[in-house]
Amino acid sequence: MIEHDVVCPFCGCLCDDLELETEEGKIVKVQNGCALAESTFMNDVRLPAPIRRTETGWEDISYTEAIKETAEILQGADRPLLYGWSSTHVEAQSIGVHIAELIGAVIDNTSTVCHGPSILAIQEVGHPGCTLGQVKNRADVIIYWGCNPVEAHPRHMSRYTTYATGFFVPNAQLERTVIVVDTRRTDTAGIADEFVQIEHGGDYAVLSALRAIVRGKTSVIPAKIAGVSKEQLIRIVEICKTAKFGAIFFGLGLTMSRGKYKNIRNAIELTDELNRHTKFVISPLRGHGNVYGSNEVFTWMTGYPFAVDFARGIAFYNPGETTAVDILRRGECDAALIVASDPGANFPRDAAAHLAKIPTVIIDPHVNATTALSRIHIPCTAAGIDAAGTAYRMDGVPIRLKKVIDRGYMDDAEILKKIYDHLNGGKGP
Amino acid sequence: MKCILNTGRTVPQGAYVEHKGSDAYRSVASAGFLNPVDMMMLGIEDGDRIRVTTPAGHIVLTARPAEGVARDEIFVAIGPYANHVISSETHGTGMPDFKSQSADVEPTKEPLKSVGELMEALGGLHYDRT
Repeated sequence: MIEHDVVCPFCGCLCDDLELETEEGKIVKVQNGCALAESTFMNDVRLPAPIRRTETGWEDISYTEAIKETAEILQGADRPLLYGWSSTHVEAQSIGVHIAELIGAVIDNTSTVCHGPSILAIQEVGHPGCTLGQVKNRADVIIYWGCNPVEAHPRHMSRYTTYATGFFVPNAQLERTVIVVDTRRTDTAGIADEFVQIEHGGDYAVLSALRAIVRGKTSVIPAKIAGVSKEQLIRIVEICKTAKFGAIFFGLGLTMSRGKYKNIRNAIELTDELNRHTKFVISPLRGHGNVYGSNEVFTWMTGYPFAVDFARGIAFYNPGETTAVDILRRGECDAALIVASDPGANFPRDAAAHLAKIPTVIIDPHVNATTALSRIHIPCTAAGIDAAGTAYRMDGVPIRLKKVIDRGYMDDAEILKKIYDHLNGGKGP
Repeated sequence: MKCILNTGRTVPQGAYVEHKGSDAYRSVASAGFLNPVDMMMLGIEDGDRIRVTTPAGHIVLTARPAEGVARDEIFVAIGPYANHVISSETHGTGMPDFKSQSADVEPTKEPLKSVGELMEALGGLHYDRT
C-alpha cells in the first residue's frame, strides 16, 4: 500500500510530501525523503519492552510497573527535572507541562542547547520572520549564517530556497543569490554565490560591521573584520540592499558561539536595518522535528518557551539558572524524567553524569545514550511513524503527523497521562 | 596542537542518531576532522588516533582530513564523543560552548571507546539487547 503526503518527523523542515510504501505493517520504501528521512522510517529499531536497571544488569518489567515506579520517583523528589520533548507531538508535551505544574518540577526542552539563545534575542528585539512559503515564492537573496543545511536540513534548499521554483522566482537557480557565512567551508558554502569565511567568535563584529555599512558609515570599518575583507562586506550589503526580498537563516554557529544570544540580537537588528531599504526577514533553522512545538506548548501553558521552573508554585523562568544543563551541572535535581531526547549524548559530560547519580527515567522509542544513565526506560510510539499528533514546522506552521503503521506500542502521551493520574490520585489533567 | 573544538550536525550522524550502539554511529561520531596541513604538522594520517584534551577531560578520536576545516580547528559531529570534553559552563545563558571549546590535540595509540563505554565512565550501564 502506498501512503501519500506523509510528514517526516525528523527535522524542523517537517517535509510533508513523502510517499511511503508499506507491506504487512512494515515500511518498505520511502520516496521523496532525504537520507535522514529514509533512516528515520526504514531503520527504526525499538526497545521492545520497558526495562529497569538492577544491581547487575537490566530486567524487563511491565508498563504498569514502569509507570507506577516512575510516578513514585517523581512524587518522592524535591527538585525533579522534566527534559526533552522535541521529538514527540504537542499532545505529549502538554501533559508534560501539566505534570511539571502538579509536582513543582523544572521543565525544559531541547531548545535549551539549540536555539534557546535565539529565543532570548527574540524576547529582546522581536522576530521579523515569515513562513517558508513566503521565502519560497518571493526571496531572491538567501543568507545562511552559521548553519549547514546540506547536512542538517538536507531538503531546505530544494523545497524553499536555492533550488525551489517560486511564484515570483520562476528560475530559482538563476534568480536567487545565495550567501553563506561560516567558519568552515562546508558543503553548503560550496554552492554559495558568495562565501564569507569568518574567524571563530567573529560573528558579532561582522554583523556590527554590516549594520554600519547599511547605515552609510563605511568609512569607520577597518580593512578586515574577523578575517573578512571590507570589500566583501560592502559587496554583501549591496547585494542585500538591492534585493527584492531577502531571507536570513541562521543556525547554531550563531547560538553556540561567543556572544550567544547577543549574536542573534545583532543579526535581527541587521535585518531591521535592511528593512529601511527593502524587505528582509530572519529565522532560525530549527533542529528537532517538533522543537518549535515544545516552545509553543510551553508558552501557551506557562507563558515561557523553555526552562520553566514550577518550584514556587508558579511558572518562573530564568535561563542560566533554570536551564537543564545548569541544573544538572550544579547537581541540583534529585530525579529526572527524559522524554523524546538524548541528553546523555547531547549534554556536556558533567551535566550528563549527574543523570546517572539520580533516579532517571526515559520515555523514548529507541535505546540511546541516556538509556545507560537511566534507572528505567519505557519505550513508546514514535510520533509520525506509529502515532498521529501535531508538530510545528521551523516557521511556526502546525502540521499533523500521520500514523503510518501500528507497532503495538503505547503512545507517550498515554504513558504520561497514566503517570499524571498516579501523581494526582487518579484524577486526570 | 592548540586548537578550537567545533561541533555540528552531519548527515551520517543524523542517519545513525537512533542507533548509538552501532559501529556506524561510533565511526561517524568519533571522527575528528582536521585541516590536512595540521594533520601533516601532527605527523598523522587519515584514520590515525588522536587524543583531544580540554579542561573538561580527554577523549580519543579518529583523525580525518577535511579541506573545509580551518587551521587550528577540529570539527566533531555533535554527540557523546565531542560532549565528553565540552565544559558544562553556560555563562548564564543555558548554552554551553559547543562550538568554541579550546582543546589540545596530539597523536595517540590509545583505543577508541564505544558509546556504551563512555556512558559507563559517567556511572551508567550499557544496554545492548536490541
